[in-house]
Amino acid sequence: MSMRSQVYEWDAGRGNAAANANAGSRISVFIGGIGNNITKPAETTATEFVVIEDIAVSPTLPLGIAAGAGATPVVVTTDVRGLSYDPVQGTAGGRAYVQVRINTTDYFLDPDNVPNDGIPGTASPYPRSLNFQPSFNLYPDVYVLPGQVWDVLVTFYHAAGLLTTTGTSLAAGGVAATGQLQCFVKYTLYDGPDALIANKLLEMGISINPGNVDWYKRSLLASQA
Amino acid sequence: MSMRSQVYEWANLAPVGQTSTLRRTTADVPKALTANREYDLFIGGVGNNITKPAETTATQFIVIEDIACSPNLSGAVQIRINTTDYFQNPDVTDMVGIPGLASPYPRGANSAVALAAATPAAFQASITDNILKSFDLYPDVYVLPGQTFQILYTPLVTTPAAADAVTSTAVVSAFVKYTLYDGPDALIANKLLELGVTINPNNVDWYKRSLIEQQQRSASAAAASAAAAMANGGV
Repeated sequence: MSMRSQVYEWDAGRGNAAANANAGSRISVFIGGIGNNITKPAETTATEFVVIEDIAVSPTLPLGIAAGAGATPVVVTTDVRGLSYDPVQGTAGGRAYVQVRINTTDYFLDPDNVPNDGIPGTASPYPRSLNFQPSFNLYPDVYVLPGQVWDVLVTFYHAAGLLTTTGTSLAAGGVAATGQLQCFVKYTLYDGPDALIANKLLEMGISINPGNVDWYKRSLLASQA
Repeated sequence: MSMRSQVYEWANLAPVGQTSTLRRTTADVPKALTANREYDLFIGGVGNNITKPAETTATQFIVIEDIACSPNLSGAVQIRINTTDYFQNPDVTDMVGIPGLASPYPRGANSAVALAAATPAAFQASITDNILKSFDLYPDVYVLPGQTFQILYTPLVTTPAAADAVTSTAVVSAFVKYTLYDGPDALIANKLLELGVTINPNNVDWYKRSLIEQQQRSASAAAASAAAAMANGGV
């Protein structure tokens, strides 16, 4: 098939799992060396066209700090809506953000045109639940043209909001357990003739989605008939 | 790319010893807020900020599609374009904006947080509701080329509940989702505004298609008239 819906799920707890030292740095979900990775950077060939339709990352819940709370991270034994709470930063969860990079250009910018950390997991949570629902919808989609390299970068700032494999806070050492910090990317891969049609639709200013690619094919057939 | 979906998230978190930060850090802690004070999310001096006021250049057009804030502290968010507040009372007086209870961030958050209890279990035990949105920012808010805009967060109370100790500090956040049109797409956005057509990616694409179709019709009409001229004696 030449149009294929694809997903990529990254978990910081798989493979070479994330540690406290990784907090605050950008991690490529494809080749960052943390969590599950792939063999080479994500790129499109001359006959491929990728449309990124959704990105999401583990959520965070802002709460607050209570009077008399300690000044150093503590071992978290109780969670808040499935997220680990830390009385220093006052949030539950990893404070994670996800950015899309095409070649060397970051997609999400602050209003002063400076690249930012990307979409907060609080706005685009993965997984979605009754407690954590999306505020953000990636529309218009992000196009990766033939020959471009693309990347999805996760940054987390709150190691104390993540649990280790032994159930302690990541800020106190150890490595992240599975399911603590995850990222999700949904994209459609157009290949061969459909990638050519996708390019044509782009030239025409038409949104690239499977429905419009099919419409273009039908209009070609109708003009031949 | 010339149409880009963008978000900005603000929280009252900054490193120890400073009230604001340009970059988020792993050592951020909550900063105290004053009740009934407007905090500019971009350059308000509390929490994460940016380097300069948010403004559009001559070749940019912004469409604000959603704003939201934490439901606790009775917080609200307001949009200010240049010096004009967007949300007003029916008597055209100033108001604090959209309450976080109507447009919560995150969606599904608690309506309040009981910070009096020092253990996380109390967060769950005391307040277990999930606030969903009652408000949808439609029609969208347009920021025309050359305009400055602010998103203002106002907490109506300082601490979540009267029983809380004064040293408790809530973490609150606010969120704005907008689409940035740049270059040719900003020109098209201006044209759509003149035409009274809603500005969204679909309509910008529609306008591009109509331009292309118009050009194609002109080209084919020119070719047909040239052919007719040739048939009539090659003049």
